[in-house]
Amino acid sequence: MSPLTRRIFRPAGVGRGAAAAALAVTSALAVAGCATSIAESTPASNGQSFVAGSPGTTEFKSGTGPVAPLVRGPAVGGGTLALSAYRGHVVVLNFWGSWCTPCREEAPDLSALAAHFKASGVRFLGIDIRDSPASAQAFMSDFRITYPSLNDPSDNLALDFRNTVPPAGIPTTLVISRSGRISARVIGGATYNGLKSLIQRAAAEPA
Amino acid sequence: MTGLRVPPGQPNGAPAQDGAQAGADGRTDETAAPGAPSRPAGQPGSFGLLGWARWGWRQLTSMRTALVLLFLLAVASVPGSLLPQQGIDPSAVQQYYLSHPALAPWLARLSLFNVFAAPWFAAIYLLLFLSLAGCVIPRSVRLARSARTPPPPAPRNLARLPQSARHESTLDPAAALDAAAGVLRRRKFRLRTGDGWVSAEKGYRRELGNLVFHLALLALLCSVALGGLFGYKANRLLVTGTSFANTVTALDEFHPGRLVSSSDLQPFSMTLNRFTASYVTSGPSRGQPLSFNAYVSYTAQPGGAVRHDNLRVNHPINVDGVRVFIIGHGYAPVFRVTDGTGKVVFDQPVPFIAVNTSGLTSQGVVKVPDAHPDQLGFAGVFLPTAVDVGGVLESEFPAPLNPRVSMISYRGNLGMDSGPPQSVYTLNTAGLTQLPVAPRPLAIGQSIKLPGGAGTLTFTGYRQWISLAITYDPGQLPALIAGLAALAGLLLSFFVRRRRVFVRAYPGPDGRTVVDVGGLARSDPAGGFGEEFTGLARVLETASRGPATETPSLTTTPGGKSD
Repeated sequence: MSPLTRRIFRPAGVGRGAAAAALAVTSALAVAGCATSIAESTPASNGQSFVAGSPGTTEFKSGTGPVAPLVRGPAVGGGTLALSAYRGHVVVLNFWGSWCTPCREEAPDLSALAAHFKASGVRFLGIDIRDSPASAQAFMSDFRITYPSLNDPSDNLALDFRNTVPPAGIPTTLVISRSGRISARVIGGATYNGLKSLIQRAAAEPA
Repeated sequence: MTGLRVPPGQPNGAPAQDGAQAGADGRTDETAAPGAPSRPAGQPGSFGLLGWARWGWRQLTSMRTALVLLFLLAVASVPGSLLPQQGIDPSAVQQYYLSHPALAPWLARLSLFNVFAAPWFAAIYLLLFLSLAGCVIPRSVRLARSARTPPPPAPRNLARLPQSARHESTLDPAAALDAAAGVLRRRKFRLRTGDGWVSAEKGYRRELGNLVFHLALLALLCSVALGGLFGYKANRLLVTGTSFANTVTALDEFHPGRLVSSSDLQPFSMTLNRFTASYVTSGPSRGQPLSFNAYVSYTAQPGGAVRHDNLRVNHPINVDGVRVFIIGHGYAPVFRVTDGTGKVVFDQPVPFIAVNTSGLTSQGVVKVPDAHPDQLGFAGVFLPTAVDVGGVLESEFPAPLNPRVSMISYRGNLGMDSGPPQSVYTLNTAGLTQLPVAPRPLAIGQSIKLPGGAGTLTFTGYRQWISLAITYDPGQLPALIAGLAALAGLLLSFFVRRRRVFVRAYPGPDGRTVVDVGGLARSDPAGGFGEEFTGLARVLETASRGPATETPSLTTTPGGKSD
């Protein structure tokens, strides 16, 4: 072979190798990309059958939180409920399910806080997610939950919150100020003291 | 490779172009502009900051580095499959903390419980991406330039080329060249003429193919990134007669891309009205599924128009770019539980998971955390077509011809009032006591009365469920297009030969015009340039033959011998 041909033939071969390797790399990236997104969600997913969401509290400065949608629907145990009926009150909105361990864990605290703030005009409202009426009512009587809950078997109420602060997992608790704006969101089980200070903060906001 | 750039004894001709060509071979030569003197690698003393940066870039974009990074990526994913991962199974991670209290915090510090989100993992694939982009972009520029370059001047000595031929012509040299140029032009060669020579080149589509391939590769990388950043995957199990909405709380599993927030989910909702499955009823493949039909109604957004569709295998529903597939089905027996106080504390379908496909024998658990005086738990099987095989109950057909459930009962603490979240498909029996109930399969409407006044379990019926995979991947279509374009470009570059033909005409010693023809395939993957050249040389000879010529002497030398 002349040097000329060698110089010309060699590159073609290498170029093809590079191409093949690049393809391999791309598929590896595809795999990596997929895997990365799995890690990102931090769901308690595998076999658990619900998305727990990354726990944490988000607070909004006074008057800057998104306006809570005025959800309405059938109540657990019959009748209908509307969030609009609570206008002018600080509202604690709790997404729960009788089957969910952190919901059961926080239930006594929520019940106690509801009693504690009743006189000061703070209203509690539950939204029961992916539950059956029998289990929901048993849960409420078991934990002596005296405040009412909306029944949301089709997730439509949860969907209504998608453009505000979507409840990212169960349980999620929203504190809504008197002006109807969301002032705080707690993903994961709420604690007595943590939620208490969030409620006091919302109550201190001008209406 | 660098040595190739300035080969000793370079035959005359084609200097300008070959610089670019040699550059295209070694990815290490990236930054050395074609024609510019390349920086000698063995002179570190002359390296400035820029020199080091250039050296680093050249290393990063080298083939070797890309391969090493690819290998590293594979190695780095290994701990992800050996150690429990936070994103996939958080309870296993908690378990690991309990069993390895000293080691676990250190592993956590190294992100080994979250490998795919670890900074070092991201570093590897970002470097890999950079390395690939750094390789492909300059290559594309070079290829584009090479596709526009006219053929080089003809070498002086055409006999030294791999293919060459010589004939004599009765025409004068200029006319002979004109005739040759005419032939080559008709054959769609790109021409360049000079004093006493014509050089022609063909097969530029090869470069086009190469260019398309490289650009498509970049597009593919970007599409994959697009899908990884903005796409998501989710799963949801849906029982007949119920609905769900595409919002995070309603999903069983949710795997969002890096830039997906829960408010980005397309707000559709879907109801499963009816599900039918049909099976082969006789013959050796009895029990094999024939078809699944899930009759669903859905709205693209709240308050939108209700649409109806029939969801089948390989027939997903597309809502706003989100595709919903049916990926499984099963039975959800309906149970009613009355507790010791006589209150109905549970009444709902419970999805059971199939443990065998031939008879769809399914397992599941019922948890009744709000029963009094004690919490109740049940674990058991659902048999769609129960038959007694030597005292053991089995399901012999997947359709519900003779549905039975068989449950084991427990009372005590379900462990649901505190502690880590539980799977709805398993019963934690650590705090439970099994109740002495004679195992009796229940037909629809039958009950087990639990001893000690603990309550009653009634099997009231069954429903079917389907599991749905919800996928949104905005990079999918671009990736498909890019992949096809890459394939087309690759094929084009494989099957198109880039070849050059040179013609020189000059007066011979006897006064007759001598025509030298030389040929060179710059790439000859499919072979066959030799034949093409021989044929072409013959045509050129015919074209240059004057009215009164003798039999010409045609000599064709095959390539590879001249040196």
